[in-house]
Amino acid sequence: MDGNRGYAQRLAELGAKIEKARLSPEIVCERAAGLLAGRSGCRIDDAHSHMRLLATQQGSDVGTVAASVIAALETGLPLTTAGLFTTRSEERPEPEPRRPAPPHDVIDLPGWAAVAQQMLDVLPGRHIVVSPQRDDDGRVVDYRFAAVSPSMVDLAGRTGAQLVGDRVSTVYPEIVGGPVWRAWSDAVADGQARTVAPVSYVHHDDGHATEHVLTVHVQPVGAGLLNTWVRQDEPGRLADRIAQTERLGLLGWGEWDLVTDATVWSDGLYRIYERDPADGPMPREESDALGLPEDEAHRRHAAEAFGRGETVDVTTRAVINGRVKWLRAVIDAVRDTDGRPVKIYGIIQDVTVRETSRRKLAEVEEQLREHRQSLATEHRVATQLQQIVIPIPDAPIELPGLRVGVRYLPAEQASRVGGDWYHAAACGDGSIILAIGDVAGHGLHAATTMATLRHGLAALAVTTTGDPASLLTHLNQLIFLAGPGATIATATGVVARYEPDTRRLTWAQAGHPAPLLARRGATAELPRPEGPLLGASRRATYATATCTLEPDDLLVLYTDGLVEHRSRSLRDGVAQVAALLDRILAAGEPEPMEAFLTRLRRANPDDDTCVLVAGRSP
Amino acid sequence: MQAVSLGEEADGTLVLTLCGELDFTNAGTVAAVIREAVAGHRPPAVRIDVAGVGFLDSSGVGVLVQGLQSAEEVAARFAVVNPGDKVYDQLRISGLLELFNVSGAPG
Repeated sequence: MDGNRGYAQRLAELGAKIEKARLSPEIVCERAAGLLAGRSGCRIDDAHSHMRLLATQQGSDVGTVAASVIAALETGLPLTTAGLFTTRSEERPEPEPRRPAPPHDVIDLPGWAAVAQQMLDVLPGRHIVVSPQRDDDGRVVDYRFAAVSPSMVDLAGRTGAQLVGDRVSTVYPEIVGGPVWRAWSDAVADGQARTVAPVSYVHHDDGHATEHVLTVHVQPVGAGLLNTWVRQDEPGRLADRIAQTERLGLLGWGEWDLVTDATVWSDGLYRIYERDPADGPMPREESDALGLPEDEAHRRHAAEAFGRGETVDVTTRAVINGRVKWLRAVIDAVRDTDGRPVKIYGIIQDVTVRETSRRKLAEVEEQLREHRQSLATEHRVATQLQQIVIPIPDAPIELPGLRVGVRYLPAEQASRVGGDWYHAAACGDGSIILAIGDVAGHGLHAATTMATLRHGLAALAVTTTGDPASLLTHLNQLIFLAGPGATIATATGVVARYEPDTRRLTWAQAGHPAPLLARRGATAELPRPEGPLLGASRRATYATATCTLEPDDLLVLYTDGLVEHRSRSLRDGVAQVAALLDRILAAGEPEPMEAFLTRLRRANPDDDTCVLVAGRSP
Repeated sequence: MQAVSLGEEADGTLVLTLCGELDFTNAGTVAAVIREAVAGHRPPAVRIDVAGVGFLDSSGVGVLVQGLQSAEEVAARFAVVNPGDKVYDQLRISGLLELFNVSGAPG
C-alpha cells in the first residue's frame, strides 16, 4: 500500500536523523560527561577533564573513552540505544494511540444501566442516560437518571453520582412537558435519534437568574435514552480561549501525522513564522533551514532525546524574515505499542523577548563583575604603588641635624587610597629637603601623578636646584606634561629646605595648608607665601618664606585629610591638631614627636592623610 | 551635588550655577558638564556661581581648575563668584583666589 510505504519511509528518515544525532562525537562526549557528573556528583567540566585524563592514560581519544563511559554507566538502565525505529513495511502499525484500559471494577454489575454507566465512565464529554418510567398502563410518565458521566456537573453544581437513581421531574421540574421531554417521548416511541436546540435553561441561584442556551442530542440506547448536553457557546468559547492563549503567550502549535503525512499549523504558529495561513504550513525542509548553525548541537541533543522517547523541550534560534527569533519548542509524539511515533505534535513559543533580556542581563552582570574586578585590581595596584613610592618608616628618620617622623593614615575605604606623599632626604650640598604633597582624586591615576611628583622632586633636588620655589615651578611643569587631551591632575604641596649649619628653613607651597610650628608651648601656622596649586596654570609662580628652627621646635607638615571635615571649618581642624600638640608638649612627654604621631586621628574618613614632623637632632 | 544649571547672559557670558557638595563622588560628571558647555558655547566669559556649594574637597577644586582650563582653551575670561566661607577658605588655601578672579572676602 502506498500510504504504508510512505509512513515507513518517513519513519526511516526520522530514525536516521536521530541516529545521526546520537553518533555525533560531541553529543557522545557531552552525554558521557553528563552521565558521569550525575553519577559522581561532580561538575560537568570536571567530568570532561576526567575523560581527557583517562584518554591520555589509555592512549586513546576522548570519543572512545566517552563511548565506554556511556556503555559502563548505562548498563542496567532501560535506555534504548539502537534500532528504535526499525521499520517493517509489511506490518502496518496501529495509527491510533491506545488509551489505557479502564478499570474493570464495575463490569460485573447486572443490568444495562450498569453497562451504560461503565461506558460513560470512560467516554469523553458529558452525557446522561435516562430510562423511561411507565405507569401500570405502560405509558411513560417520568424518566429516571440511569447513568451520568463522572465529569458531569450540572448548572446547579450537582455531580453525576448524585443524580443517578433520581427522577428527572424531581430534579429538573422545568423540563417536564418541554421540548426535551417531548423529544424523549418521540424517541421512545419511534426509536430514532433527535437533536433539540436551542434549549433555554434558566438557572436560579441566590436570587440571580442566569440563562444558558444548550443543544441536546437524544439517542435511544437499550432500554433508555443517551443525552449529550452541549452549551451552545462552548465550542466558540474554547476556540476563543485557545486563540487568546496563543496571542498572549506568543504560542503556536503544530501537528505532523506520520501516517498520512498531513501537517496542521495553528494561527499562532503562522504568526510566529510570519507566514500567510493561505500558503499552508511551511515544508519541514524549509523550516529546518531557518535554524542557526550555532544551535546545531542543541538540535541534535533534542533529536536524540526524542529518539529515547522523551518529551523534547529545546530553545533554539531561527531566522525569520531576516530577524533572529528565539523559539522554544516542546515536542512529543503519539506512539504505537512498539514505541514508534505515529503523530508528532509540538508547541512553539516565541521567547525572543525573554531570551534577549535574559542575555542582556547576563551581559550586564558580566560587565559589572569585570568592573568590580578591575576596580579591585586598581585599588590593589594603587596601594602597592603608594607603598613602593612612599615606604612609611617605623621610627623617625635621622638626617644630618634633623629628626623626621612620618605617619600615614589610609582612608577608611581601600578605594579612597592614593595621592598623598612625602619626601625627606639630604641633597648633595648638605641641606635637607622636606616635602609633603596631595594629589586630587584617588586610585591609579592619582597614584601615578604622586609617583611622578615624588620622584621628580627627589631628582630635581639633587641635580637642579635646592630652592623650594624653583622646585615647585618645575613640579608644576611636570604635571602639565600629561599631554594634550589628558585631564590635567591637580596637586598641592609644601617643599622646605633646611640648612643644618644656619638652622634656617626656607619653604614654599602650592595651594597647600601652611606648616604648623610648635615653639615654647604654642603651636601656630607659619605665615604662608603665595603659590597656587600645581596643575592650575602653566604660568604659576611661587614665593618663599624663611624661619630659623630653635632647639625644641617641632615643624608639622600635613595633608588636608588631617584637618578637613565637611561639617566644620579648616580653621577649627587646624586648631584641634595644634591643641593636641600643645597638650603633649605641656605634659612634658619624653618623646613628643612619637607621642603626637601616635595620637593623631584622621578628620576626614574619605581621605588619606600624611603627616611629617621634623625637629632638630638633640 | 544636587544640581548644575546653565544660563547665558545678554553679553554671551556663560553662567554655571552649582548647588550642593562638590566632591570626589560627582567631580567627574560636573567637570564634564562644564567642559562640554564651554566648548559648545565658546562664550567670551565663563562665570561659575558657587553660592550654593557648601563643601568642596580637592576633587571639587580640581573641577573648578578644569573649568578655568576649558575657558582658557576658548580664550574666555573666567571667574568664580559668590563663595561661602568654607569654599572661600578652600580657594584661598589652594592659592586660586587670583586665578579664579574671586573678588573680595565673603560677606
